[in-house]
Amino acid sequence: MLKMTHLSKVYRTEVVETYALRDFNIDVKEGEFVAVTGPSGSGKTTFLTIAGLLETFTGGTYHLDNLDVSNLDDNARSKIRNEKIGFIFQAFNLIPDLNVFDNVEVPLRYRGMKALERKERIMGALDRVGLASRAKHYPAELSGGQQQRVAIARALAGSPRLLLADEPTGNLDTQMARGVMELLEEIHRDGATIVMVTHDPELAARAQRNVHIIDGQVVDLAEDPRFHSAYVAAAGQVRG
Amino acid sequence: MQIKPILTAMRHHKAGTILIAFQIALTLAIVCNALFIIQQRVTRVMRPSGVEEANLFAIDNQWADSASVQNVGAQIRADLTALRQLGSVQDAYATNSFPLRGWGWDNYVRLRPDQVHRTSDSAIFFTDDHTLATLGVKLIEGRNFTSSEAHDVSIKTLAAWPEIIISKDLAKKTFPDGHAVGKPLYVNSDASPSVVVGVTDTLQSHMTDSDITPFAYDAVLVPGYLLQGMTRYVIRARPGQLQAAMRDAKRALVTQSRMRIIDPKDGVRTFAQVRAKAYERDYGMAMLMGIVSVVLLAITAAGIVGLTSFWVGQRRKQIGIRRALGATRADILSYFLTENAMIGGCGVIVGILLALGINLWMVMRFEMAHLSGLYVLIAAAILLLLGQGAVLAPALRASRVSPVEATRPA
Ligand SMILES: Nc1ncnc2c1ncn2[C@@H]1O[C@H](COP(=O)(O)OP(=O)(O)OP(=O)(O)O)[C@@H](O)[C@H]1O
Ligand SMILES: [Mg+2]
Repeated sequence: MLKMTHLSKVYRTEVVETYALRDFNIDVKEGEFVAVTGPSGSGKTTFLTIAGLLETFTGGTYHLDNLDVSNLDDNARSKIRNEKIGFIFQAFNLIPDLNVFDNVEVPLRYRGMKALERKERIMGALDRVGLASRAKHYPAELSGGQQQRVAIARALAGSPRLLLADEPTGNLDTQMARGVMELLEEIHRDGATIVMVTHDPELAARAQRNVHIIDGQVVDLAEDPRFHSAYVAAAGQVRG
Repeated sequence: MQIKPILTAMRHHKAGTILIAFQIALTLAIVCNALFIIQQRVTRVMRPSGVEEANLFAIDNQWADSASVQNVGAQIRADLTALRQLGSVQDAYATNSFPLRGWGWDNYVRLRPDQVHRTSDSAIFFTDDHTLATLGVKLIEGRNFTSSEAHDVSIKTLAAWPEIIISKDLAKKTFPDGHAVGKPLYVNSDASPSVVVGVTDTLQSHMTDSDITPFAYDAVLVPGYLLQGMTRYVIRARPGQLQAAMRDAKRALVTQSRMRIIDPKDGVRTFAQVRAKAYERDYGMAMLMGIVSVVLLAITAAGIVGLTSFWVGQRRKQIGIRRALGATRADILSYFLTENAMIGGCGVIVGILLALGINLWMVMRFEMAHLSGLYVLIAAAILLLLGQGAVLAPALRASRVSPVEATRPA
């Protein structure tokens, strides 16, 4: 589904070059639920933005759904984002000027979907996240957990094959976080591939597979002696 | 495609939206009235005088000895003979006034002596047998004056002129059946009528004020040399010799007699100068309206650019979100263009009502003509295009916002 080999991403400013990702290799299979962990600044968000075609990369290759995406033009990338990928952000990223219904509708409109089908899908998605009754509310009138569920509904409505979530529970308390996580697991059971960045070891442990990023590279914590102690500590936290 | 959500989003920045829409409305209302005024003035200025104006000029000749004005008849004849003999001059005549001069005589014209309402308020031009040739005006009916018909005329002993030539428009008004020649008209005396001996092609009055518009082409040519302090010579130069003729004519007059005053500044004027002076206020008004329109349009465009730029800056995050969710650059561009077109459309509708209101007020207040729908449409089109033009740069900037903005903290 998502395969990066020797991928690198360099941020160039006038003074410095930052390697946000270097020799980055990952292979996420169709239908997998992968949790991505790693220290702050290690490149997790960078990985997700490249995976989600929000940004281009500097070197290496990236195949999304068996398609080499390195040379696609902006319109083609927009179309793939719209049809294949669903995004869930830490800051929810709802459009404050639009109500819940209109927010969920945004990606469907860009797909050029007919009004009737849009309405069906929107209400279906809102129903699934338990917010059908809030369709006319504005984001500011909802709690953080509810807003994130609207964001999930927005991602779901387009039936994406790949769901990318960047710390989806980062701004939520434990109980709300649990609700969101259950929702993601449900979506996963229905067949979507999910890549989720999280700082929460408990949530990470519920994924099928954990990928750890340090300094812009995927590392195997169990194998790498440098990080062995950190891994043990993290594992201990999960158990404790 | 995205009209409904744009409309909903607009409710969240009402103040700016209403402000711009109102500015567009006001600009439209003023600009279409201004365009209308400009058009009216230009039409006035562009109407033909009937005179062949190129190579024509006029000299204001004031007699120095005002006491002996009763005796200038002989001097006028001598002046005319001298002027007509000049190599650079084609023809000349003496008069009290001429088309577009602004000042002169005008008399009520009646068909019957006891008629209460005037048929016309016509210009009275003193002329002789050289007048039509000098002005380049054709006779379309009847005959020209003969040289013997031009007598000396004193204001004190003014009687009815036995024969007159009238302009085409006056002839149509007085004798709609088309036969003016040989008919009587009461011009300066209720006791005895003048007889029309000829009809000229189009000939404009000396009066150019808008309130005499119905009589603007009514003129009566009477034969004779008016004995008064000021005599005006209208002179046609030979083609291409206007400057030489103006110089020669003035010199010739001074050579004839030094007992005259010709203002060194504007005593000798080309007909182009006469025309410019006649329509000075119209040019001024058209210019003022033009400037007002351009300034208002510029301010409105700047307002749109400013506010849209502000909105684009404010909405970078949501533009990024839309891009992340699949909006193409074209989608974002069209969002802002559509939003602007909607605001502009509302402004234009309100503006049209306002424009008609302003016009109605001016119609009642200043007897202005009713605004033609064409000007409203032109102004509406200008404003909508201006709006789209003004919004283009900020909208393009918006379309270049990267989808990665969605992931950055607000
Ligand atoms: N637009 C940018 N310009 C320059 N450097 C950037 C840019 N975006 C990210 N970086 C750098 O790339 C590196 C990776 O950043 P990234 O945001 O991917 O980290 P992260 O793992 O998501 O961190 P966090 O857990 O704090 O969200 C950091 O060193 C960061 O400073
Ligand atoms: Mg991050």
